[in-house]
Amino acid sequence: MSGPVLSRRRFVGLSIASAASAGVLAGCSSGSGGKSGGKTTIKFSYLWTGEEAKALQKVVEKFNRSQKDIVVQGVSNPDTQAQLASMTGSKGAFDISDNFGNATGDWASKGIIKSLDDYIKQDKYDLSDFAPAAMETVRYQNSVYQLPIAVNNSALLYNKSLFDQAGINDPPKTTSEWASAIAKTTKSNSSGISQLGLCGTSSAGIDYQTMGVCFGGKWYTNGKPSPTDPGNIAGAQFYVDNVLKKYGVKHINRFASGFGDYQSPQNPFYQGKLAMVIDGEWQPAFIKNFAPKLEWGVVSVPYPDGHPELANTNLVSPGTFFIPSNSQHPDEAWVFLKYLVSTEAMREFTLALSNLPSRTSLLKDKAYGDIPNFDVFLNLLASKNATSMGSNPDYTQYTADLTTAADQITRLAKTPAQAYAAVATKAQSYDS
Amino acid sequence: MTAETSLAKRSAPGMGRRRRLTIAGFGFSLPWIIGFLVFMAGPIVVSLYYSFTEFNLFQPPQWVGLKNYVSLFSDDRFLHSMFNTAYLAIIGVPLGLALALLVALALNFPVRGQPLYRAIVYLPAIVPVVTATYLWRWVFNAQYGYLNQLLSHVGLPQPDWLEEPFWTKPAVIIIMLWGIGGTTVIYLAALQQVPQQLLEAAAVDGANTWQRFWNVTWPTLTPVTLFQLILGIIGALQIFAPTYLLTQSRLSPANGGPGDSLLTYAMYLFQNAFIFLKMGQAAAMAWILFVVIGGLTALILWSSRRWVHYGAE
Repeated sequence: MSGPVLSRRRFVGLSIASAASAGVLAGCSSGSGGKSGGKTTIKFSYLWTGEEAKALQKVVEKFNRSQKDIVVQGVSNPDTQAQLASMTGSKGAFDISDNFGNATGDWASKGIIKSLDDYIKQDKYDLSDFAPAAMETVRYQNSVYQLPIAVNNSALLYNKSLFDQAGINDPPKTTSEWASAIAKTTKSNSSGISQLGLCGTSSAGIDYQTMGVCFGGKWYTNGKPSPTDPGNIAGAQFYVDNVLKKYGVKHINRFASGFGDYQSPQNPFYQGKLAMVIDGEWQPAFIKNFAPKLEWGVVSVPYPDGHPELANTNLVSPGTFFIPSNSQHPDEAWVFLKYLVSTEAMREFTLALSNLPSRTSLLKDKAYGDIPNFDVFLNLLASKNATSMGSNPDYTQYTADLTTAADQITRLAKTPAQAYAAVATKAQSYDS
Repeated sequence: MTAETSLAKRSAPGMGRRRRLTIAGFGFSLPWIIGFLVFMAGPIVVSLYYSFTEFNLFQPPQWVGLKNYVSLFSDDRFLHSMFNTAYLAIIGVPLGLALALLVALALNFPVRGQPLYRAIVYLPAIVPVVTATYLWRWVFNAQYGYLNQLLSHVGLPQPDWLEEPFWTKPAVIIIMLWGIGGTTVIYLAALQQVPQQLLEAAAVDGANTWQRFWNVTWPTLTPVTLFQLILGIIGALQIFAPTYLLTQSRLSPANGGPGDSLLTYAMYLFQNAFIFLKMGQAAAMAWILFVVIGGLTALILWSSRRWVHYGAE
């Protein structure tokens, strides 16, 4: 259950980041681990909390039981600012931690995290089992800096009851079928909207990055931001034409203002306010928890008419483990890292989180069979059209500018072509 | 014995005592002075240096001269943040002072239950800003919010407070006005200092309510108004928490609200420092803010000679 939860919890750290300077001091003053009882103690600081942290702690305990030389001390700390601050000093507060793949370029270029190449070479560690799209995000300048464990991707979730009421027998495969399904499942009149065919779960916007790749777009081309790729523009334009302009941003904003909390039974998709949403592989577990009676299905995001080669396109974002450059025990951390992404530990952890495993050998594992509709997400990750945003040093700045563009597109302040052209202009001044 | 030496002999014990007092004073102040030098003056000076460098916390700073300062003024988001902050300061602060004064005047009437009313007005000032802002998010909800329901009852349009760029800043000003309890209490204390005999004399001379306020009460309140104006401007130029909390959304740490309409100066400084790790640019922003605040404070103090009245003036 980690996709947005991970992200949310990680971003919770930002809300208290005004105290980051205190974190810097704290980070500088505390060393990590040491020798005790003949064993080397390493500190594993992770951003997961709650149930996910418990699942991870079990993995840690299992590792500790198997070890004669190393003891891992797991500490849950969801504050990303504190994590960053702890990596500034010469003596790190932890030896191994987690984040997302897309942090790789930014952190590696600044020397924050350690390249794993020497360890991989020394141990002849096999990387071929990891999903290529996930591995794309952990490399920087052909070196591996992180290893992926729990992968997030997205697909189109639909409400079966609302589809039945609208007389739709099959979920959409192509964008024209999708447009038709949106129209059939939307209920609106002059006074407002009571049900919407497609929308984001928190606001009138949608995941434009996924839309872009599903329309054949690329956000990076040859390592450079390419926001004006025709596919990216077409993806956003589809939503603009079939939802925003058609039903009116003002009406949609008002309708969306009544959406309940994402991670609660009041999620608008669970409530039947939205017939379709683009959402992640954690939803099967969420729905089981928050809306067990919901009749729902999931398919890959529809491909543009006449382009079946784009079927099963999906955007992948892996949760990853890394060793900070200021780790006091990098060799021991590597031993533990290998264990964390081993088949057994990965299966146990991703099952507990209902996230996708990054190892392709686990994608057909029967252990995931009990999670409803999970196979769709697993197959999407296995697809040749699974792709990622990559991990360039300018990623944070680029995605911030894309967020601004998304806002302009959603408010119809700019067309997708105009909004992305503005991002392209800004991208020319990125440092990398 | 000349007059000078006699004077010197007489004043010597006095000077010694003064020196001892000075030393004792510094002694008592020393913990603060050391704390200031180590934890504030040091970082302040270092931040000035950083403002001329490219620095990301992890690599040595690279001297870039004025680049950070120059590039900021061609950055849309920086200019936007300046506009948003100026809007909140120019409209929010005077409005807050005026409303606080009005409320203080009302609370100064000797009516039954006066202490209770005073407590009620002060109450919002002790509500934590995070709690208050999250509550206000619901008050401003376009569909279910109390504010729009109230507006619909009186036949007024119901804006999308937090979705339409035009309305987001007025929403923040409403939150600011809700928290005027502290300012009101200070005005209330100042009202107790208004000379009653002057008010009575003015009344005897036939001055009406407005004339008594404008010619007697207001001049007495001007020093307090100057103090509150300066603090209000400084606070508004550094506003962070309400706008940050109103714009928080999933997976979007560098958000500035719809059309960046809630991106305040302090928020953009924070984003540069802790999200984009551009410490040099953030330090430059901090210094620009420092200079602007210093300049505005000096301007207000200079203008105060014309409108602030002290004691027997």
